[in-house]
Amino acid sequence: MSDRNGQLERNIGFLEAMTLGGGTMIGAGIFILPGIAAEGAGPASSISFVIAGFVALLAALSLSELATGMPVAGGSYHFVNRALGGFFGSIVGWGMWTGLMFASAFYMIGFGQYLVEPIPFLDGRALIIILGLLGLALIVGVNYYGTEESSQLQNVMIGAETAIVLAYVALGLFFIDPANLDPFAPTGPSGIIATTGIVFVSFLGFEIIATVSGEVKNPSRNIPLSMILSVVLVTILYAFVMIVTTGVVQYETLGGSLVPVSDVAVVFMGSVGVVAIVAAAAIAAISSSNSSILAAARVNYAMGRDELMSDWLNVTHERFGTPHRAIVATGAVTTVLIAAGLNIKSIVALLAEVASFSFLVSYSLVHVALVVFRRADPEDYDPSFTIPDVLYPAVPVLGIVLSVVVISQMAPIIILLGMGVVGVGVGWYVVYVRDHAIDRGLIDDAIFPTGDAYRVVVPVANPKTQRDLLRLAAATARAHADEKTPELVAVNVIQRAEPSPEQNIAAERLERQHHLLEATREIATEIGVSLRTVAMTGRHVDETILEAILEENADQVLLGWEGTRTRQGHVFGPNLDSVVENAPCEVCLVTLHDKTIGTTVALADLGPHSPSAARRAAEFATVDATVPTLLNVQQPAHDSESAVERGEAVLEEVAREAGLEPEEYKSEVVVADDTETAILETVNHYTTICVGLSERSDASRMIFGTIAERISQEATSNVGIVRGPPGAAETVVHPREEQLPK
Amino acid sequence: MPLTDDSTILVPIDVSVAEPPDQVILKLLRPVNIVVLGYYPVPKQTAPAHLKEDHEAEATERLANIVSTYARADHDVEDVLVFTKDRRDSLDRIAEQYDCDAVFVPGEAEAIGQILVPLRGDVNLERIISLVGDLGQASSAAVTLFHSVAEGTDPSQGEFILRGAADRLSEEGVDRDRVDWKLSEGGSPKRDIIDLVADYDLVVLGETEPSLRDRILGAVLTPILDEIEKPAIIVRDTA
Repeated sequence: MSDRNGQLERNIGFLEAMTLGGGTMIGAGIFILPGIAAEGAGPASSISFVIAGFVALLAALSLSELATGMPVAGGSYHFVNRALGGFFGSIVGWGMWTGLMFASAFYMIGFGQYLVEPIPFLDGRALIIILGLLGLALIVGVNYYGTEESSQLQNVMIGAETAIVLAYVALGLFFIDPANLDPFAPTGPSGIIATTGIVFVSFLGFEIIATVSGEVKNPSRNIPLSMILSVVLVTILYAFVMIVTTGVVQYETLGGSLVPVSDVAVVFMGSVGVVAIVAAAAIAAISSSNSSILAAARVNYAMGRDELMSDWLNVTHERFGTPHRAIVATGAVTTVLIAAGLNIKSIVALLAEVASFSFLVSYSLVHVALVVFRRADPEDYDPSFTIPDVLYPAVPVLGIVLSVVVISQMAPIIILLGMGVVGVGVGWYVVYVRDHAIDRGLIDDAIFPTGDAYRVVVPVANPKTQRDLLRLAAATARAHADEKTPELVAVNVIQRAEPSPEQNIAAERLERQHHLLEATREIATEIGVSLRTVAMTGRHVDETILEAILEENADQVLLGWEGTRTRQGHVFGPNLDSVVENAPCEVCLVTLHDKTIGTTVALADLGPHSPSAARRAAEFATVDATVPTLLNVQQPAHDSESAVERGEAVLEEVAREAGLEPEEYKSEVVVADDTETAILETVNHYTTICVGLSERSDASRMIFGTIAERISQEATSNVGIVRGPPGAAETVVHPREEQLPK
Repeated sequence: MPLTDDSTILVPIDVSVAEPPDQVILKLLRPVNIVVLGYYPVPKQTAPAHLKEDHEAEATERLANIVSTYARADHDVEDVLVFTKDRRDSLDRIAEQYDCDAVFVPGEAEAIGQILVPLRGDVNLERIISLVGDLGQASSAAVTLFHSVAEGTDPSQGEFILRGAADRLSEEGVDRDRVDWKLSEGGSPKRDIIDLVADYDLVVLGETEPSLRDRILGAVLTPILDEIEKPAIIVRDTA
């Protein structure tokens, strides 16, 4: 039949990704920053751009690997959130959002400066700010109403803008006065590094590619290629622009200019050059600011998807389909930032530097996330682009070190503001995220340890059965409430596979997973048990579940099983066998036939897992407040008396091992010639049956056990197949065969 | 897999708005297998996954309603729901995935009485003819084959193509007296077709190779389609 699940098209091709990323980078920074950069480092500011480009390249490498491993919306935020959990996710999410706001404000003030300066009778800060605000209003308005993917127009605009910049560089090279380039580095190394901090903002365009990676066609090729290529090309271009700019006009003269590039262009291109540069600068500012607002909305959406941001903010407009609230919120804060320019003289450098700070912090965490992913090596992490072995761990380590170095050279006020942004993320985590987030990173526990808990891992996949599974798991966990806090961990695994490079399957599955896990949280609240949810992705479901069990240090795993035996060499099914066999904790496979749990019975023989089965029966009985029954079936001995006695002895032994007091269970001993039939008949009187797996053979291959198998196949009640803790099989004193009378 | 060896046509439908199915088209497409592509246009500002979260249920319902009106016993009707920023990307992908012979382009028509079929030499000829044959069997529409030869070339070459195509159509079960042809010499074939279309209710034309410029700038849609308002069927060039 047809596939009614909505598919997600990947619409951004290589060229669009390049214009999106490269366009944003060539964009505003190149026109606004040269003056500030020349003031800060003289002609050596080209080195500042190269260093910034290098730092960006390192981040682009790490991001490429992460983005091809998880090609969904959200960029750095998403990767950090998955690797490091909601605490750092919140820091990076807010850092990116505010960083994009600062950048956007920076672009729009630059826009105002370029429009105002060339017209002699127009002057003054107020006008620049007003134009900047008008430009912003236009962008916010357009984005509120929504636009179609008009890549053609975008390509032409970015193309024209790039052509003008290239012409500027090509012509300008002939007008360089070598005298201007001496001294080359008037402020020395620290000046160069300090300037790097300001100009780093120019490079945030490649992050925008990562933010929309859910929409990039053929992501495994196009994401790394467009990110790395755009960073490299733009770095080279920037270095040349700085050499031309400081070479044509003395850097001290440049420093005071708000429109450095047009001041230089007028020298060798005349008024035509000025017009061209002003036009290019205006286009650049608008397109960069536009991309920033788009990216900000994506980050918001991604945070909302992971329950790190309120749904209210992320509602899409009924008619336009745009995330209008997020866009307006971004625009509102950006407006305040632009308006701040009225009072703050060096607003441009300030905005640029705070945005740089935010992204340097984010990229440092991205590098950490990469290392965490590589070290934890979760099954779901299978990026198609990997940093070559010779460069790992050099890339992330160097990336973190350089980010710290660049940040360390920033002015105290910038560091203060930047830490304020980080503080917003931390505060948000404390007041909102901690109670909402679904995703749990690999190191969240390290920061906020959850204490000693009896933890039952419940893999969930089927919305129909998860409620009952959780009820049983809760009953089990609560049975240990005396010693440990009962805690459930719902795990859902997305199996990874992308059928077409032009379709975004990853995001579809992610959405389904989040719905499923959200439902489990609701059920848990209803039952009144503490539950955490873990979202995972993996190539093999069984291996990923095992990984979750290990990570969670689980005491028990409770799995749903359809109850049908598959033929192709599996015992329980391809996703279950390895879990049943290898889980380092108790295992319970539950097949649900009946809606009520009701009366429970455990088959108590001398199999290795009988005591565990008896415990489960006792625990499950608490669901409907019944008393569990331990059942033993014996073949008639010469006198029936001794058969019953023998059976009762076995029951007592099992109960003792299970830790059940005599008043906590009922005994039933049945004597029959055909023990299997007798068992099957008897157990069906109870609503829920617990039976242990028989034993393990030498080859450590589990043997289902004939009676357990028959019960699972023929019983009409609920069945729990129980495997005790690892090692249970070895502790058995009396193998079952010897106990049964021949 | 289609039930029959009849052609398969991809029919795109915008599921972001509620529109009653077009009865004329329903009738026309009765003799072929159909893949209904319900697309939900996503603005650039929004992640497709985001809009899907908010609108999947209503889109699914609309698509199901439309598909149920198309459902027939003797031919396949499949459906796909896609959230996309550019429906052309989805059209290409789904047409490829479902092995569609042609893509339907909606337009305005009261009834399908006259079908124009421009032919470009041998390119895609077999597929076009077999599709027109399928459509012609179930309707009484008249078919006009059109071909344009460059100025100064021997028109008999063009006549040969048209005559051959007309013969093939009659083999496909479209009566010879319903088939007419027009041969144009010189001039722009594109202009000729656009002028001619005014007198017809449907155009069936072969996909054109995108020019280099189109490939770079991304506009692969046949420029003719931008200038006509009539429904059209674009036969894919999969050779």
